[in-house]
Amino acid sequence: MTLFLHYLGLSYLLQGISVTLEVTCLGLAGGLLAGFVLASMQLSRFHLLSGLARTYTVIFRGTPLILQLVFAYDALPHIGLRLSPMAAAGLALAANEAPFIAEILRAGVRGVDAGQVTAGQALGMTPFVLMCRVIAPQAIRMMVPALGNEAVTALKNSSLASVIAVQELTLRSTQLASATFDFFSIFFASGVMYLLLTGAVTALQIFAEVMLDLDRPSPRERLRRLLPGRRAPVPDAPVRPAALHGTPPEADLDAEESAPDLGISAAQRAAREHALAGNPVAVEVRGLHKQYGANAVLGGIDLSVRAGEVVALLGPSGSGKSTLLRCINHLEDWDGGEIRIGGRRIGYREDGRKLAARALAQERAGVGVGMVFQQFNLFSHLSARENIAGPLRWVHGVAAPEADRRALELLARVGLSHRADALPRHLSGGQQQRVAIARALAPNPTVLMLDEPTSALDPELVSEVLDVIRRLALEDGLTMIISTHQLRFARDVADRVVFLAGGAVVEEGPAQDMFTRPRHPLTARFLKVMGAKLATEIPA
Amino acid sequence: MSVVQEAARLQHPAKHATRRLHPSRWLLAIFGAVCLMAAAAPMASAASADLPAAPASCQALQAKYPALKGKTLVDAINPHTPGYEALDPNDPSQYVGFDIDLAKELGACLGFNVTYNSVSFAALLPTLQSGQADIVISDIYATAERAKAADFITYSKVFDGVLVANGNPKKITGINTSLCGTTAAENTGFVEVPLIQNLAGACKAKGQPVPQLQLYDNNADCIQAILAGRADTYINDVNTVDQAVKAYPSQLSKATAVTLPYSIGIAVPKGNMEMRGAVMAALSDLQKAGVESVLLKKWSLDAGTLAAPKLITG
Repeated sequence: MTLFLHYLGLSYLLQGISVTLEVTCLGLAGGLLAGFVLASMQLSRFHLLSGLARTYTVIFRGTPLILQLVFAYDALPHIGLRLSPMAAAGLALAANEAPFIAEILRAGVRGVDAGQVTAGQALGMTPFVLMCRVIAPQAIRMMVPALGNEAVTALKNSSLASVIAVQELTLRSTQLASATFDFFSIFFASGVMYLLLTGAVTALQIFAEVMLDLDRPSPRERLRRLLPGRRAPVPDAPVRPAALHGTPPEADLDAEESAPDLGISAAQRAAREHALAGNPVAVEVRGLHKQYGANAVLGGIDLSVRAGEVVALLGPSGSGKSTLLRCINHLEDWDGGEIRIGGRRIGYREDGRKLAARALAQERAGVGVGMVFQQFNLFSHLSARENIAGPLRWVHGVAAPEADRRALELLARVGLSHRADALPRHLSGGQQQRVAIARALAPNPTVLMLDEPTSALDPELVSEVLDVIRRLALEDGLTMIISTHQLRFARDVADRVVFLAGGAVVEEGPAQDMFTRPRHPLTARFLKVMGAKLATEIPA
Repeated sequence: MSVVQEAARLQHPAKHATRRLHPSRWLLAIFGAVCLMAAAAPMASAASADLPAAPASCQALQAKYPALKGKTLVDAINPHTPGYEALDPNDPSQYVGFDIDLAKELGACLGFNVTYNSVSFAALLPTLQSGQADIVISDIYATAERAKAADFITYSKVFDGVLVANGNPKKITGINTSLCGTTAAENTGFVEVPLIQNLAGACKAKGQPVPQLQLYDNNADCIQAILAGRADTYINDVNTVDQAVKAYPSQLSKATAVTLPYSIGIAVPKGNMEMRGAVMAALSDLQKAGVESVLLKKWSLDAGTLAAPKLITG
């Protein structure tokens, strides 16, 4: 025991710790750097780059570190590169760590919900902004445990540098044991030292996880919890938007009772139809063709939407509704035909060539097409307020206070002022979709597209979302294209219904006409099947 | 921004909602701080107190071989052999032993300084070949096989000891058929390895099992193998064996000593005539001046091992 304590405090061994740390840091820092490059190469669209990265990974993940160390130390000098033992060890450890770290980075990036990436694209984020603002912040949170693991592994692997004369802890321990014959005291002491080091890494990892935890209470909150006689906070108490901001009272969209009837009379409808006819064309789709392999998804779609018009896309699943919406926002490429928004042909440069990803993002932000998704696709690491304000700052360069003001204003409009700082996972589906609508509205789009906005919602939450959409149509005069299965909603809100089947427009016309007098047998059959469910589907 | 400030700022997400996306910064800061703390701790070479002074003839050698003068040579060693080369238990920042003193004496004679590069036994010659070391003085036997990788200047005869568990339960009497059916611990690259392997034919002829070999990286591991009952014997330089018996008198003993037809040598890079010539001449002068004998006595080594230097090249 005395010997053990003697070796535990021996400065010769303690110096070995600093050498061990140095090798480990070189290996990890180099590995992170090289791993970042490798991961970028593997995620790249260029086959040559990803192929090179894979080859590297196969070689350096597939050979023992000890061989790589000996190679860096004894073989590189033969080609004129004589590294010091420390540099050779750092190089070999970094080269060995790189593929493992690259896989962690890649898994983190790929683990980010694809829907959020699509939503970011639809908001006009360039690939770089998307990576920095949406993918990286979420990926880093997922990667912390794996990186902690890797740091511990690297620390232990650094002991192999003893074979190439790096005076780290293990080499010092074995040398000392050879000189003194006190094997066990020495190895126990160095074992304890390694344990302290790896324990420190674990502590750092836990600290990082706590700091990155999105649900971490604020210091004030923690203090309040410690105080005697504390009362549980009431975070979800609804605050009337009017009381907060002095805006006219709004319908409380959280209320259980049915929303006020915003449907319009036949006379109003006729007047609206007349007014719309004089408006310019906002969206024009001509001869749109798209196929996945041999399977044609869109077979020559023509669609024209006037400014202020609300168009409902109906049709069975797989009829091409979502694909059509995704093409209009250019989230998908198409194989033939063209799309014009506000008279501008999208997806192509002046000289007729296709746009690159970055230019495409800028075009999306420029033409003003908002998109609302079936699965909401809110950025899960950001509060409701930041989901709206963030893209305004990053894509449209709006100043922070202005973006924040706009976010709060929109949240008030969708009745969620009291949930401004809540994370998406703490919101109900209906609330999430309302935030998503607010987010899509933030940059003042000329056209808003809603892709089955209520299909993922529990039945009792459908009406709160439909009410928001209805009010946008009637009060704001927003141009909207909605794919939906909600027939009554389509009938009440849409100026025109377009019925799609098998990737083609089967029938289109004023909503009232089509619901009462469908001309095409496919439409009639669809309406009959859906109509049977109508009574149960819409709580209103 | 400091780590603390950054952390404090992160705790007010509502106030700083717009800056919430940089939590990785302080992680980087901590990582950097840890790396800065890890400073290099280079190995000091031992002070050259209480060593015999270099003979006067060394002045002439320095004039004849000026290339080495004022240089610092890297000596690759496998410091697991107390008596020849090992850490000083009283000051582990120093290497001590006969080979260490011999290197210093050669340096004092030819005008160079010595630093040490600690590698495994099998890596001694590869380290020299790759240029990571300039010289190897580490109780290495100058065999014809090894002379293909380096030139050797010999300085000592080889006597091996046979280390066994106390009482020699397997009745081992040397590198002969008494090893049949036993397990020997040896270091990778040791000359004893092929000698033991070559007994296989003789054992088979006697209808006995061939000797088994366990290969380790240093003396300490080999000695532990006997202490743990994994191996029956460890055959190596007699001085190493004596040191082990001294450390574990109740558990280990020396069964016998054998003479091997080898010499211990200093390895220098192949084809470096100046280095080879200088070391040969200096070693010769040191022996004539009685310096090597003094060192043998200092480290309690058998004075009978002294032999005039020979050049062994492959």
